[in-house]
Amino acid sequence: METKVEPEFQSALTTYTQDHAEPAWSLELRQKMLAQYPTLPLPRYEKIDYQKWDLLNATKPVTTTSNADLTDDLKIDFAASKNLLVEVGKSVMAAQLDPALAAQGVIFTDIFTAMRDYPELVEKYYMKTAVKADNNRLTAFHAAFMNGGAFLYVPKNVAIKDPIQAYYIQDSTRKQDFVPHVLVIAEEGSELTYHENLSTSGTESNLANIVVEVIAKDNAHVHFSAVDQLSGKTTTYLNRHAILATDATVDWAVGFMNDGNVVGDFSTDLRGKGSHTEVKVVAITTGKQVQGIDTKVTNYGQHTIGHILQHGVILEDSTLTFNGVGHIVKGARGSDAQQESRVLMLSTTARGDADPILLIDENDVTAGHAASVGRVDEGQMYYLMSRGISKKVAERLVIRGFLGSVITEIPSKSVRERLTATIERKLENGQKSESDS
Amino acid sequence: MARLEVKDLHVSVTDEDKGVDKEILTGVNLVMNTGEIHAIMGPNGTGKSTLSQAIMGNPAYKVTQGDILLNGESILGMPVDERARKGLFLAMQYPAEIAGVTNVEFMRAAINARRADDDQMPVMEFMKLLDEKQEILDMTDEMSERYLNEGFSGGEKKRNEILQLMMIQPNFAILDEIDSGLDIDALKVVSKGVNAMRGDNFGSLIITHYQRLLNYIVPDTVHVMMGGRIVQSGGPELAEKLEDEGYAGVRDELGLDVKLTDEI
Repeated sequence: METKVEPEFQSALTTYTQDHAEPAWSLELRQKMLAQYPTLPLPRYEKIDYQKWDLLNATKPVTTTSNADLTDDLKIDFAASKNLLVEVGKSVMAAQLDPALAAQGVIFTDIFTAMRDYPELVEKYYMKTAVKADNNRLTAFHAAFMNGGAFLYVPKNVAIKDPIQAYYIQDSTRKQDFVPHVLVIAEEGSELTYHENLSTSGTESNLANIVVEVIAKDNAHVHFSAVDQLSGKTTTYLNRHAILATDATVDWAVGFMNDGNVVGDFSTDLRGKGSHTEVKVVAITTGKQVQGIDTKVTNYGQHTIGHILQHGVILEDSTLTFNGVGHIVKGARGSDAQQESRVLMLSTTARGDADPILLIDENDVTAGHAASVGRVDEGQMYYLMSRGISKKVAERLVIRGFLGSVITEIPSKSVRERLTATIERKLENGQKSESDS
Repeated sequence: MARLEVKDLHVSVTDEDKGVDKEILTGVNLVMNTGEIHAIMGPNGTGKSTLSQAIMGNPAYKVTQGDILLNGESILGMPVDERARKGLFLAMQYPAEIAGVTNVEFMRAAINARRADDDQMPVMEFMKLLDEKQEILDMTDEMSERYLNEGFSGGEKKRNEILQLMMIQPNFAILDEIDSGLDIDALKVVSKGVNAMRGDNFGSLIITHYQRLLNYIVPDTVHVMMGGRIVQSGGPELAEKLEDEGYAGVRDELGLDVKLTDEI
């Protein structure tokens, strides 16, 4: 992977920062990380070989806006959602928040507006606790070149009933890195449901470097779901990281439906006593793509619970790797780390891995894992086909059931339907190249 | 009228442990037409379930000799789904459980698999048909909305097999020990469903150990199977005779050299 820092990036970044009227601390962080990132190590993930991917060949920041009609393909119902943010590249196409929530102090806006209007609040958390800017070469790159995203702040004891929905659309009608940052702060006793959609418009080859930070304070409850559908021409580093205080819960449900190469890093730090996370990931890989997903839960606090469930389907010549890392540190007594990773291979040329990694440094805990790489259950196939259902339809039914655990967690019916349709489309396309035998 | 013929059928299965093929069916002959109900009775381990799986086309069962014809056409080269679309149905002894796929979804897919893409069954028509069949079987909407067989009791699974049978309306249904594990009330309900299917366009091959089921679904013909083939055929009275004399009685009467699995 090539890393380059040219002096012209420095001036381009300064211009870019001024263009958004970013606070001084933001420019300072960018310049510092720009200088530092080439020297930092790349993160390492078991069995995910992404080091040669084109993730660091930065393009100069683009200051021109994107076309609004790039949202057309998604058929977003702008009226259906009270709390909605739609961004194409760095351009905000829609930003709405229920006035009743705004009156209670809820903030939901694009990241640049947040930096301008709430500079201290953003600075307090931005790349400081969940994902530290200088953690590795890719996070530092992100800090230097960040060019979009959102800020969601839910004050103490505020419970949001309606889901908060965000669309981040990569503008690949031109050469432009896609580097959105999402920062979610759930204050003590708050509750929220957030759903994000990542997608691509356009056919240029681009890199994406996405960081999502979720900070859940004492007794906060966060339901986080995502459908990732970046294009086959996009090479992606995707980092989602939550940090939980006492008795907080964060539930993740993520559909990894990208068409290109992706390395995903999902981490949840159970810092506070009694905090709890359920991580659910489904993935489909097709064509020649590689998706590597490293899902990690670290139990720091006592009586913390971390459960990981990952189900994936691999077609054609693609590769899917699921790492499931459960780490219980010394002192995290009474904690529980469980995980299940299962991969179905529909082709003989596909490659798949499901690696359970349990690191237990405390005795008084419960932990377990299950992992498998296999083919579609013959007994189920025979049963479905004995009712006249063709092999391909039967296969899709079994797979839909296999991936159902995450689909049911998505709060919005329209998003669920779109995810189901995406799964059907990916499976149908992938099956076309499979033999009928 | 449709016709199902089994001619000198020999079937082997591979013993996974020893890696050798074992012949289970040793020359079965059977002819049945729609409008008829046939029962096959026989002791354990005699090949009754093998016959049903071989007719349906389970890939684990290898036909080594003979033929199976549906309306004069050999079906041996057809995969299981094609045989089903041609009119065969097998109510299984151990139905698979499939999470994430509801019964309703599954039955619609099965019905529509038999119809052209531009002639799929409308939802309202499907729901009406489903209501009608559920009522015959004392089943609720709640059961149909559940995932396919997941968490179903043995009795519920059997009832669900019959519901599928009634929805799909095949020409020939093989019922593989549909009575096993059923109490008398469930047995009556299942029988009611099968009897409701009786007619000129429906034939059934009922596989059972016990004569009891045949009190509720009265067959036209009873076959006795032993040692991998049919050794005797007759009317419903043959089932009663078996109940009185046991399989050993028939074997001795016919002078067969067959060891019964459960014989002491």
